[in-house]
Amino acid sequence: MTLSRRTILKNGAAGALAAATPGLRRAHAASNTKIMNAVMQGDLRSFDPIWTTANISAYYGAMVYDTLFATDANFQPQPQMVGKWGLSEDKRTYTFALRDGLLWHDGTPVTAADCVASIRRWAVRNSGGQMMMEYVTDLSTKDDKTFVLALKQPFGLTVPAFAATSTPDCFMMPKKVAETDPFQQITSHIGSGPFTFNEKETRPGSRYVFDRFTKYVPRSEPPSGFAGGKIVKLDQVVWQNITDDQTALAALESGEIDFFELPPLDLLPQLQSNPDIKVRVLDQSGNCGMMRLNWLHPPFNNVKARQAMLYLTNQADILKATFGNPEYYHEIDSIFGYQTPMANSANSTWFKSAPDPAKAKQLFKESGYSGEKVIVLQATDFDFMNNSAQLIAGWLKEIGVNAELAASTWGGVITRRAVMAPDDKGGWDIFITYGSGYDWNNPITMVALSCNGRKGWFGWPESAEYEALRRQWALVSTLAERQAIAQKMQTIAWNVVPQVMLGQWVSPAAMRSNVHGVIGMPDIIPFWNVTKT
Amino acid sequence: MAAYTLRRLGSTVVVMLLVGIFVFALLHIAPGDPAAIIAGDNATPAEIASIRQQLGLADPLSVQFVRWFWHLLHGNFGISIFSDTPVITLIGQRLPATLSLTVLTIAFAVIVAVAAGVLAAWRAGGVLDGSLMGFAALGFSTPVFVVGYFLIYFFSIRLRWLPVQGYVPLSHGLWPWLSHLILPTVALGLAYVALIARITRASMLEVLAEDYIRTARAKGASTEAILFRHALKNAGVPIVTVIGIGVALLVSGVVVTETVFNIPGIGRLAVDAITNRDYPIIQGVMVIFSGAYVIINLLVDLTYTLIDPRVRY
Repeated sequence: MTLSRRTILKNGAAGALAAATPGLRRAHAASNTKIMNAVMQGDLRSFDPIWTTANISAYYGAMVYDTLFATDANFQPQPQMVGKWGLSEDKRTYTFALRDGLLWHDGTPVTAADCVASIRRWAVRNSGGQMMMEYVTDLSTKDDKTFVLALKQPFGLTVPAFAATSTPDCFMMPKKVAETDPFQQITSHIGSGPFTFNEKETRPGSRYVFDRFTKYVPRSEPPSGFAGGKIVKLDQVVWQNITDDQTALAALESGEIDFFELPPLDLLPQLQSNPDIKVRVLDQSGNCGMMRLNWLHPPFNNVKARQAMLYLTNQADILKATFGNPEYYHEIDSIFGYQTPMANSANSTWFKSAPDPAKAKQLFKESGYSGEKVIVLQATDFDFMNNSAQLIAGWLKEIGVNAELAASTWGGVITRRAVMAPDDKGGWDIFITYGSGYDWNNPITMVALSCNGRKGWFGWPESAEYEALRRQWALVSTLAERQAIAQKMQTIAWNVVPQVMLGQWVSPAAMRSNVHGVIGMPDIIPFWNVTKT
Repeated sequence: MAAYTLRRLGSTVVVMLLVGIFVFALLHIAPGDPAAIIAGDNATPAEIASIRQQLGLADPLSVQFVRWFWHLLHGNFGISIFSDTPVITLIGQRLPATLSLTVLTIAFAVIVAVAAGVLAAWRAGGVLDGSLMGFAALGFSTPVFVVGYFLIYFFSIRLRWLPVQGYVPLSHGLWPWLSHLILPTVALGLAYVALIARITRASMLEVLAEDYIRTARAKGASTEAILFRHALKNAGVPIVTVIGIGVALLVSGVVVTETVFNIPGIGRLAVDAITNRDYPIIQGVMVIFSGAYVIINLLVDLTYTLIDPRVRY
């Protein structure tokens, strides 16, 4: 047998490859069942869940901080940090006692003074808290573990506001931290929640690391929604900031990550065909889209033009354009979202006949519309906003309205939407956005459900009658009372049209099939109770 | 040459400052409000205004500029609006990943491309030349992200040889570091392999037709000696020039590659900062990029003196 140089090279290369391959395979098959790698909805830009209303900061808050009350699976508030609590007979004085064993991450005990300071900071930034404080006559400590909240008159939303997950959530912080100006960002990561923030291993913009807080004392009740025992079964949770969806999907398929909160809907069939991956809708309330109309200038300073938009909008087309599969979206007729306790069908006859371009055209004519420009802000970096803006501008043009798209990034839209000036001075007429599905249930914390004019949210709708009902909604105690008021509010809303609803959709999450126990609730993805087998 | 080098280094500082001023102006002309992004979608206009006030963004532009410029002159790049971390710390955290990727990419591109260009020139008009140049044309015309996704699908998902994404520092071991950089390096380097290989081939063809090469052949010099000792060195100036241009162009490729392979480098930092309108980071990164660009050009110019003794500064 002759041994040529070519043979040696060929066999050598093959041998080296064979030797190297198992090693390479092993390197990527390794999987630690106590560490969860997750890709969340976005980058964690701020570590202060009171300073910002960004959802991802509330996710961070739920890991690091704890709450006095928490919403259970039936959306009822249940005590979480609070042990015993009571309400006086006249329903004006609450007494809250903290449960035993609560510690901050630095090992010091949680005190009532910490909670009072935290409530005060939160109440400056949360609209429910702001309203509550208008009625508070006293908020003070009774002893190290007990504090009292006294009111001028009963405020039925007190405990639900403490439990609500509408940002900013009522997270408890150490007194020294909570005394920071609510408009200034805190720098501390000391909470009393079930996870500690691992600053050393965190790389802002890249990865955020949370370790199990070994001294956390969970409640004894089984977990239910955000309430009950927060039992952490993992040693570490790592949020990887993978900005490219395709890369995140590949990382999930290869097992490099375990959880992908928002895989693009068009990639779901690929995930569903993989036996190592499961797809679950964790938040059935999803999101609801809306079209905000600028009440300050023509044409939408005229109610007829606003009503025209109800008839012009084809929710089915808008939803189909972005979400494709009808399994994941619904058209809605309520200003309170889809199937929330407050959702109702009052005064929604428009919904039965929309889309009706002829009626919309007629209403525009009745409004006295005379061909002025209608600026539609188009956020090109969000599919829903981008697609909806193009469709709406197209429908307006079809009925003879002089619509013009103003394309920019979402960053550009949020700057321009704050401009109150007319179109020719940098203003706008329509912008599109969306809000978390369950948040639409609460007209106090959902800013888009206010009608308080220039003091309120972008578009600045104004209705004193509606606002009176909104305040009354916060004061009453029972669900039935709130539902009755919600019907009256909606009746007014669909007469004056503060905004047009664009439908509801859910976004399934994808995870490796060995991930179990992820709690499905709106607004927050908690990592307690989760196991990896 | 020392005086020339010092003069060029001095001009680097001037260029960095001019870029800083230009970027500052551009950022504040462009639409976008970090306060609104921080506040979140649920915030009211009054809350956004309060945050803007706290961040100093409500001050007149001239005041903001003087403040930023004064800090820059003192070597202070500012503090990230979002993470409240010094910009220089963030850049320092991201620099190793970007440097690893760029150094590996340059090494890969130069080694493969020069060898391919020399071989193609040696076998000009033949099958090997046609194949190498065809591959070069393909490499040059295929976008980085397409190559990246293909490599991920084939080597990470199908074969499971290499990780899909991420970066592991060299301090964690040579193989973990290298394994995370092989695919990004190939994806990013392919276009530069194509560019440098084509220039090498063209330059080599020109040199190989020179009289002194014929003389070397007549004297019985080996093919290796002719190609690498006589021809390549004389074809070096245009090759080094295109390598220098390629390194400068890497900046844009790095941004895409770092996104596709989720490498926490400076490119990703810049893109995220632009999305968030995190002005101090954008300004800091741009100033540093401009400095790097000028220094790379200086190094290229200085390299000419090593290759061609006729070049003097």
